[in-house]
Amino acid sequence: MKRTTVSGLIFANADDGKLKKLTANRSMASVPFGARYRMIDFTLSNLVNAGVNSVGIVTKENYRSLMDHVGSGVYWDLDRKNGGLYIIPPYSKKGIKKYTGSISGLNAAMDFIDRCGSEYIVLCSPHAIANIDISAALDFHKEKNADVTVIYKNDYPPQESYEKIILSLDGEQKITKMTFTAGKEKVPFGIGVTIIGRKLLMKLIDEAVDGDLVNFTRDVISKKLKTLNVYGFEHTEFIAVMDNTHTYYQASMALLNRDVRKQLFNPERPIFTKVRDSMPTRYGTKADVTDSIIGDDCVIDGTVKNSIIFRGVKIEKGAVVENCILMQETKVGENAELNNVIADKNTVIGAKMVLKGTEQRHCFVEKNQVL
Amino acid sequence: MANKKCVAMLLAGGQGSRLGVLTSKIAKPAVPYGGKYRIIDFPLSNCTNSGIDTVGILTQYKPLELNDYIGSGKPWDLNRTGGGVHILPPYHGQKGGNWYKGTANAIYQNLEFIERYNPEYVLILSGDHIYKMDYSLMLESHIESGAACTIAVLEVSMEEASRFGIMNTKEDGTIYEFEEKPKNPKSNLASMGIYIFDWKKLKYYLTEDEKNPESSNDFGKNIIPSMLGNGELLKVYRFADYWKDVGTVDSLWEANLDLLNPKIDLNLGDKDWRIYSRNEAAPPQYISAEAEVENSLITDGCDISGKVDYSILFKNVTIEEDTSVEYSLIMPGAVIKKGAKVRYSIIAENAVVEENAQIGEDPQNAETANWGITVVGDNLTVGKNAKISANKMIVEDVKEGEEV
Repeated sequence: MKRTTVSGLIFANADDGKLKKLTANRSMASVPFGARYRMIDFTLSNLVNAGVNSVGIVTKENYRSLMDHVGSGVYWDLDRKNGGLYIIPPYSKKGIKKYTGSISGLNAAMDFIDRCGSEYIVLCSPHAIANIDISAALDFHKEKNADVTVIYKNDYPPQESYEKIILSLDGEQKITKMTFTAGKEKVPFGIGVTIIGRKLLMKLIDEAVDGDLVNFTRDVISKKLKTLNVYGFEHTEFIAVMDNTHTYYQASMALLNRDVRKQLFNPERPIFTKVRDSMPTRYGTKADVTDSIIGDDCVIDGTVKNSIIFRGVKIEKGAVVENCILMQETKVGENAELNNVIADKNTVIGAKMVLKGTEQRHCFVEKNQVL
Repeated sequence: MANKKCVAMLLAGGQGSRLGVLTSKIAKPAVPYGGKYRIIDFPLSNCTNSGIDTVGILTQYKPLELNDYIGSGKPWDLNRTGGGVHILPPYHGQKGGNWYKGTANAIYQNLEFIERYNPEYVLILSGDHIYKMDYSLMLESHIESGAACTIAVLEVSMEEASRFGIMNTKEDGTIYEFEEKPKNPKSNLASMGIYIFDWKKLKYYLTEDEKNPESSNDFGKNIIPSMLGNGELLKVYRFADYWKDVGTVDSLWEANLDLLNPKIDLNLGDKDWRIYSRNEAAPPQYISAEAEVENSLITDGCDISGKVDYSILFKNVTIEEDTSVEYSLIMPGAVIKKGAKVRYSIIAENAVVEENAQIGEDPQNAETANWGITVVGDNLTVGKNAKISANKMIVEDVKEGEEV
C-alpha cells in the first residue's frame, strides 16, 4: 500500500488565548505538561498509535518552540518517506495569511489535504490531554457509514471561558443538535477531534471559503446535521480540557492519581515525546519527596510534596516545594519555600525566597525570570 | 567511498561469563547500566563526541538484543551517510567462514570493511568499560609520536596491577614490554583495551598473525608482543579520569553505585559530553505519599511507594509499599512487592520479587562467611516469604517460602 488512508491535521494555535501566560511565548501545542511532555505529544501520539503516518501541523504564530520540539517528527516515528510530518506556517504561499478561524486554517492546509491522498482526515485541536483510541473511532466511523464523526466526552463539567461544543445524540449515536453555549449542567462535550472523509472535507472548505465562514464546527458541521451523517464517538477515559491557568493546574495535578496515569499512559498506546538524552533524576541525602511526578535529569535535595517537577529541575537542600508545578530547568535555592507556584521554564528562585499562591490563585513565575 | 581518517572497531562479541545470569541471554555490552544506559552507550557516545563517525561493531555471542538496541545508530547520531554504525557478525565467504577466534581474528575477518574507508588509523575499542574519553586527543598524541600503535593506559595501584595487562615503559612513554597479569609487576600502567594503530601496520600484523596456527589471535597475547619483537614504536597514552571494567558482578554493582558517590567524578549529566542511549517511551516517575527516597537515581516509568536508599532504579521499576531497597540495582521492568526487602543485590530485567521476600544481606551482619552481591536473573520470580542469602546467583524461579 503506497498511500496512507488516514492523515491527521493539528491546529497548533487553536485557543492559544486561553492559557494566557503559558502561551505568551509559545503555541498551545507546545505548552509543557506532565513533567516531560508538550501538549502536542498527546495529539501526535494518539494519531500515530492509530496508524496515521502523515500529519500536518497548521501554525499561526509563536511557533519556534513547536518547531524545535517536533523537528522532523522522528520521536513519533513520523520521519517517513511515505507521509511524515508537515509544518504548515502562515504566508507559505500567495493568498495564505495568518489564519483567524478554523476555516482559514483548513484553507491554508488545502495543499496538504489534497496531496496526502488519504481516505480520511482526523482534525485535532491540541487543547485536550487524553489518550484517545482513534483507531476505534475510525472503525466506528466506517461501521456507521458516517460522513463526520465527532469525538466527545459524556458528562463533562463545563469550563468557564471555553467555546463549548455541546452535542445532542440519538440512540444510534447520531448527532441531532450542536449548541455552543452551556449552563452548569454536565453535558456531552466535543473534545476537538473530528474524523471526516478527505473529499468531503475539501468540498466543505471550498464552500465555506466562498461563503466567508469562520469556524468549521459552528458554521459548517452544525448547520449540516440534516444533510450529512454526523455521529458522535464517546471517549470513556480520562480527559482534561484546559481553558485557563487554573484548569491547567488541575489537569496537571490529576496525574498524581494512579487511575488517571493508567488511562493516560496506557502502554498499548504510549505517549511519545522528544528525547533529551539526560541522566536519571538524582535524589540527595536530604531529599524528602512524596506524592509527586518527577521528570528525568532533576537533582533533588529538598522537600517536595504534591507537585509536578519537569526535567532538569534543581531543588537544593532545605527548600520546600509544595503544590507546585515547576517546569524545565527551574532552580530552587537553599531554604526557599514555594507553595501553589507555577514556574515556567528556566526560572531561578533564589535561596530563602518565599513564594506563596493559593489554590484559587497560583503564583506564576514567567519564563527565564530570576527571583 | 570517501576516505576516513580514523575508523573505530568495537569488539562487542564477548559473553562476559563472569556476569553469570546477567549475560545468559544478552551480550555483555548490552547489560543495563546507570538507570537508563547500557554498557555499549559509553564507547559509542565517546566515538560520536570525539568526532569519529564510522564504527564497526563486531558481534558474536547472543547478538539479538544488542542488534536491536543499536538499530540504525540514530540515538548516538551514528546513522550517517558514508559512515555510521555497522554491525559485523561472523560470516561465510566462498571458501567457508569461521567464528571469531580472538580479538585480532575478529578484526582480521573484517579487513574488507575497514578497507572500504581506507583510513589512516584504526581505533580498537571494547564494550566492557564505563568511562568518558576523548579519543581525538589520543589520536593527536598517536600522530604526534609517529608510533605504529598507541595504547591507552591507566595508573593503578601496585597491588591491583597483577590483575591487568601491564605496560612496561621507558620515561618517554615508549613501551618495551607487555605483561599480561604479571605476578610481580614492574609498572602500574594498566592497559585499558583501547588501541590506535596505523592502518597499514595493523593490516600487516593481522595478516602475519593469521599465518601462525599456534597463535590465539589476540591483541594482548599476540599482536602487541610481535610488534614489540619487530622493533616497532609503541607508545602509551595516559588517561587519568574515571574508568572501570564491569566484567564481574561486584565491579558492575560498584560502577553503578559510583554514580552516587560525590567523591567520584563520573558526571553523566555533562552537557558537553553526553552519554546517549536508546529511550523507549515511558511516563515520568511517580513517588507516592508513602515513599521514602534518598541518595538514589530513579528514572522514567518508575512507581515508588517504598523505602529506597543508595540504589539505582532503572526504567519502569515498581516498588510497592512497606518495602526497603538498599545498596541495590533494580533493572528495567522489575517489580518489588509489598513488604519485600532487597539489599546488596542486583535484580535483573522484569524479575518479580513477591511479597515479604528477602534478598541479599548487609556485609556487617551477614550469616554467610563468603559475603557478596546477590543476583536474581531476568524474568524470574522470587516467591512470597522466600529468603535468599548473600552472594547467590539465582538462575531459576524461587518458590514461596524457600530459603536459598
